[in-house]
Amino acid sequence: MILSDTDRKILHRLQSNLPLVSRPFLELSKELDLDEDIIIERIKFMIEKGYVRRLAPIINTQAMGREATLAAVKVPEDRIDEVSAIINEYSGVSHNYLRKGKNKHIPYNMWFTMSAKDDEELRSRLKEIEDRTGLTVRSLPTTKKFKIGVRFKIY
Amino acid sequence: MTNKTEDIDIKLIKHIQEGLPVTKTPYKDIGLALGMPEDEVIQRLKNLLESGKVRRLAASIAHRKIGINANAMCVWKVPKERVDEVGKIMAGFEEVTHCYERPIYADWEYNVFTMIHGYTDAECEAVIQAIKEKTGLNDYVVLYSEKEFKKVVVRI
Repeated sequence: MILSDTDRKILHRLQSNLPLVSRPFLELSKELDLDEDIIIERIKFMIEKGYVRRLAPIINTQAMGREATLAAVKVPEDRIDEVSAIINEYSGVSHNYLRKGKNKHIPYNMWFTMSAKDDEELRSRLKEIEDRTGLTVRSLPTTKKFKIGVRFKIY
Repeated sequence: MTNKTEDIDIKLIKHIQEGLPVTKTPYKDIGLALGMPEDEVIQRLKNLLESGKVRRLAASIAHRKIGINANAMCVWKVPKERVDEVGKIMAGFEEVTHCYERPIYADWEYNVFTMIHGYTDAECEAVIQAIKEKTGLNDYVVLYSEKEFKKVVVRI
């Protein structure tokens, strides 16, 4: 870990909205009591080193008219690489994980999120994955949202 | 105002979804690239945030790299009439980053999903224990990620 307290302070603040003013980092410099140039330099450093994946709009796919779902599949152990490669081909797939139940067995092991321009496209892509893999894809779209806000506690 | 996202907004989002320029005047620089005045870039981004089409204009953090190595997707079997009540309790924990209700199937009876992030597994476990105590729920499964095959931001 090579992040300084200054970096952590910037990182913590950057998880909330960047001010929509002409000089947003100057605005942050007042909030954080740091120099504007230092803030810019440290953000560039943290992006370059991969601490920050990107500083960009976080899109609400559904509000943009897109449809999204969490899908789960039971993949035989010896087909995990093959099936994950097929799923990852789709640009609408943003996350794909192998998951295991810790305290109880669960019927699925591969979990991925997929978005598409509308419900029809979403269904047809999931169907295509089923056809290509011969496996059942269980779609678990959100029916109610209580929280969506990946902000982490930064110590 | 219709709900349809204007083509020009789509063009703007597409241009910056890989990352804003980290310069003194990022909005001006975006405008220069797109042939749009700085004020318009700012106003369009404001509108996109206000309409909820953009959730945040913020950093996505490589959480594992900064030491937040533990995550647990914890799924709960919650009686339909208690979903609203417990959903709010779960969402109240700082370590719970996502909390959703999802459908059930014959082979899947867990309807409330919580995503928990922490610095250690023990920290995640402690949150799960606290949720159990506060809600009285006992039927849940902790799903640990064994392997990450893909993780990218949602693009349009």
